[in-house]
Amino acid sequence: MSAAVEVRDLTVAYRERPVLWDIDLIVPEGVLMAIVGPNGAGKTTLIKAVLGLVKPAAGEILIYGKSFASQQRRVGYVPQRGSVDWDFPTNVLDVVTMGLYGRIGWFRRPGRADRTKALHALEKVGMADHADRQISQLSGGQQQRVFLARALVQDADVYLMDEPFQGVDATTERAIIALLRELRSDGKTVVVVHHDLQTVPEYFDEVLLLNVRRLASGPVGDVFTEENLRKTYGGRVGFVGAPAGSPPIANRGPLPERLGGVSRSREPSRN
Amino acid sequence: MIQAQLEIQLIAAVVAAACALPGVFLVLRKMSMMSDAISHAILPGIVLGFFATSDLASPLLIAGATLTGVLTVALVEMISSTRLIKEDAAIGIVFPALFSVGVILIAQYAGDVHLDIDAVLLGELAFAPFDRLVVGGQDIGPRSLYLMSGVLVVNILFIVIFFKELKVATFDAGLAAALGLMPVLIHYLLMGLVSVTAVGAFDAVGSILVVALMVGPPSAAYLLTDRLSVMLVLSALIGAGSAVAGYWMAHALDASIGGAMATMVGVAFFFTWLLAPDKGYVARQRRRTRQRWTFATKMLTVHLLSHEGLPEAAEECREDHLTHHLRWEPAFATQAVKTAMSDGLVARSGPLLELTPAGRKHAARAVVEI
Repeated sequence: MSAAVEVRDLTVAYRERPVLWDIDLIVPEGVLMAIVGPNGAGKTTLIKAVLGLVKPAAGEILIYGKSFASQQRRVGYVPQRGSVDWDFPTNVLDVVTMGLYGRIGWFRRPGRADRTKALHALEKVGMADHADRQISQLSGGQQQRVFLARALVQDADVYLMDEPFQGVDATTERAIIALLRELRSDGKTVVVVHHDLQTVPEYFDEVLLLNVRRLASGPVGDVFTEENLRKTYGGRVGFVGAPAGSPPIANRGPLPERLGGVSRSREPSRN
Repeated sequence: MIQAQLEIQLIAAVVAAACALPGVFLVLRKMSMMSDAISHAILPGIVLGFFATSDLASPLLIAGATLTGVLTVALVEMISSTRLIKEDAAIGIVFPALFSVGVILIAQYAGDVHLDIDAVLLGELAFAPFDRLVVGGQDIGPRSLYLMSGVLVVNILFIVIFFKELKVATFDAGLAAALGLMPVLIHYLLMGLVSVTAVGAFDAVGSILVVALMVGPPSAAYLLTDRLSVMLVLSALIGAGSAVAGYWMAHALDASIGGAMATMVGVAFFFTWLLAPDKGYVARQRRRTRQRWTFATKMLTVHLLSHEGLPEAAEECREDHLTHHLRWEPAFATQAVKTAMSDGLVARSGPLLELTPAGRKHAARAVVEI
């Protein structure tokens, strides 16, 4: 199996404080991978490092075995919904068309074919009838769908998504996961920063447990264990009677009861 | 109208339009105060350039001042990137430092030349027509008109050529970078343009009022449209219109032209804020009032529906009972009933209120919606 993304010895630091420390990671081609970890674990930073948006202090990142710069067109990006100003004077179709700006290139304007592509992507996320809508009028779930449509028009091979499920309702969550599965069946690779531990085994094939360091990564069934989660969240995951070294959670039925104690707001402990 | 008057108005309109265009992106990037910082901080650049060339319109001086402007932005970003203080405080530290260097330079070494502090602060548009551009012995008009028209054309070209890059860099710099559209380069090009524009506008309106021309018209235009391209055109028009109106206000009051222009920008913004069709204060209040009556009618019809045909109807469906049951003030209750009756939802039958068939439908729908 070839690697869609390969990260070697990646360290990112803000001043002297390491945000990511010596990360090694292989994302196999054609999988859905979740990145989980407490707040401040460096999940967003990892995605930004892969995209070349933050400069690593050390390490190497390869997309299909080559540098990001040479593979830019093959990588699609969905930033956090809250990272932009939704009062910006533009409409839904225009935001989706932005995904094509890289392809269109400097000094050229989007044409009719580009708008058709954007409309098609909006159809896929169920937002085609909102194409002319002012973006300030969208709900949180609709904003997320627009961002997904914008990533779809990029027609990338690897998608990096920063919390696409954040603050969306159950309908939108189901729509998004259906879309991710469709991408996977088209042979695309999708890496998602994810907060809801309960849905990891259901939604994803692979998982990276991150807290500044890589605690574990690999198939969900192998590495999504209570012991690894405890290491990741600093021993503060509230399991009910699960001895260390017990079989992977994914193999043991429904999670909600046993993961009830995970709190998103807690400070991570740094090893 | 004599020729000088016409020329001043033309210069004022061109200056205002030239300022408004890059101003749109400053406002959308939440960097409005950067225009104030740049327009002040270019002063040492202008003064040093003036010492070197003795000419306020020399290209060398413009280049020097533009560099000072970009330096300001870089310094502000450097200081705020240390995360020791916030960006607004960094702006407040950098530009007064540079501006005061300029003020001291003028006071020390330029006491008896054309460059004086009043003109620096407030500009002197009234003298602009005296400085003529002469080509081959032929007077072809005031020099600053050509200078500012050049700046305006450069701004327009920049925005037209880099429209989509500016848009995506402003809306989502992260995506712009991931797409390889170099938002940092676009950012510094824009800041360079703001600096060039500020140098040009400096002559006309002084360093204090440039901020009014860069922030006011785009803010007004923002309230009038949901499209970036329309916002750009509108803010240039609002800027130019305010400039001409300001000229005539100054003419009538025998006041400073720069001051009057900035005042008219404020007036234009005030009326836009008040009267803008969708986002204006009046429109919003109207919408709120309409929603209040829509809601009141809903409550009234639902209330009537739930008691209709029941024994307690004789009590519950009396108009004066609404004040009790729905906690409405008597005047509000009267108005709500009147609204519902004029909408054909409710009819009076003796002392009682009854739903019309339309009212019954309305109430049934309201119950579902709630």
